[in-house]
Amino acid sequence: MATSSKSMRSLSCWKQILRQTRAVRQQQFRTLNTTPISISRFPGPPPPGLSRPRASQQDVSNRQPKKMKVYPPPPSARAVCKDPIAAVTESQLGKLDPTRARTRLFTRSNLDAAKVGDILLVRTKNGDDFAGVCLNIRRSGIDTAILLRNNLTRVGVEMWYKIYSPNVEGIEVVQRREKRARRARLYYMRKPKHDVGSVENIVRQYQRQRAMLRSADVKSRDANSTKKKNNKRGSNK
Amino acid sequence: MVNCIDNSGAAVVECVKVLKMKRHAKIGDRIIVVVQKQRNFGPESGPGGSVSISAANKVRRGDIRHAVVVRTAKKVQRPDGSVVKFDDNACVLINKGGEPIGSRLNSIVGSELRDKKWSKILSLAPMHL
Repeated sequence: MATSSKSMRSLSCWKQILRQTRAVRQQQFRTLNTTPISISRFPGPPPPGLSRPRASQQDVSNRQPKKMKVYPPPPSARAVCKDPIAAVTESQLGKLDPTRARTRLFTRSNLDAAKVGDILLVRTKNGDDFAGVCLNIRRSGIDTAILLRNNLTRVGVEMWYKIYSPNVEGIEVVQRREKRARRARLYYMRKPKHDVGSVENIVRQYQRQRAMLRSADVKSRDANSTKKKNNKRGSNK
Repeated sequence: MVNCIDNSGAAVVECVKVLKMKRHAKIGDRIIVVVQKQRNFGPESGPGGSVSISAANKVRRGDIRHAVVVRTAKKVQRPDGSVVKFDDNACVLINKGGEPIGSRLNSIVGSELRDKKWSKILSLAPMHL
């Protein structure tokens, strides 16, 4: 408030000064023309109205500019964390996929990764497993999701599953596509011409095989069987 | 036009009103339908249907009935982030009291019905997802 009032005063002073100088000049001019006596009056003490603001002005010029306190800028978030989104994703992945098995299953660089066109089986916590042809893999960090399509009771069903969802217990590749799909999204498989139909049979066969393998493994482990026996079993499969 | 998946005798029905709301119907919503096409119990009947002729057509073409939507071609997102989408829209006819008219269903239904308290339809269905 004080500064503003001062500035206002100084401005008014300037006005006053200008007005007075103008008046003085006119007067001087006139006096010069008319009576030389008045000139001797001017080198003497200046008029009180003129002197005061001039003095104050000198004061201001003499005074050092007031030191203002300069605060340092707040610490930049960029310096603390270069890429917060990546960091959050990483921490979430650490929580939801500690072994990074899912990540590996869907990274592009992994040659054994699941790709579109493969038949995938999603095992869920509540027991409703869903298998289907993978039409689309939506890769976006922790939101990575897969679109599976299957025919259940002759009705086409499509499900999006978040691969890192805690409700998803496991994702298995049941059958790979023989040839690499030349599209990233196999939406054409919704058309009757390209629809693979139900994959239940393939999945059931796969599950039977898995069960056999597992039981064989368990048996061999339980019986502490010899290597020869194991080999035989392996050949049988 | 909505498929009717029970053995009430209707094959294709048309939705004329969605009850209790001013928007489209979702799975588990009650609608009013007009029976457009009757099911002829021949080769067209579904695999799980095997509808006996004794359970004859309880509804006729042109009948106005209540029904519950059980499948939508529109994607439905579940609370866990998974999304389900069926290839068709389907419904099950019910009477005014909410009891299904047919005695069996011949195809899959969405499990959103459980949240909407249609457990009777869920138990009739051969499968739910």
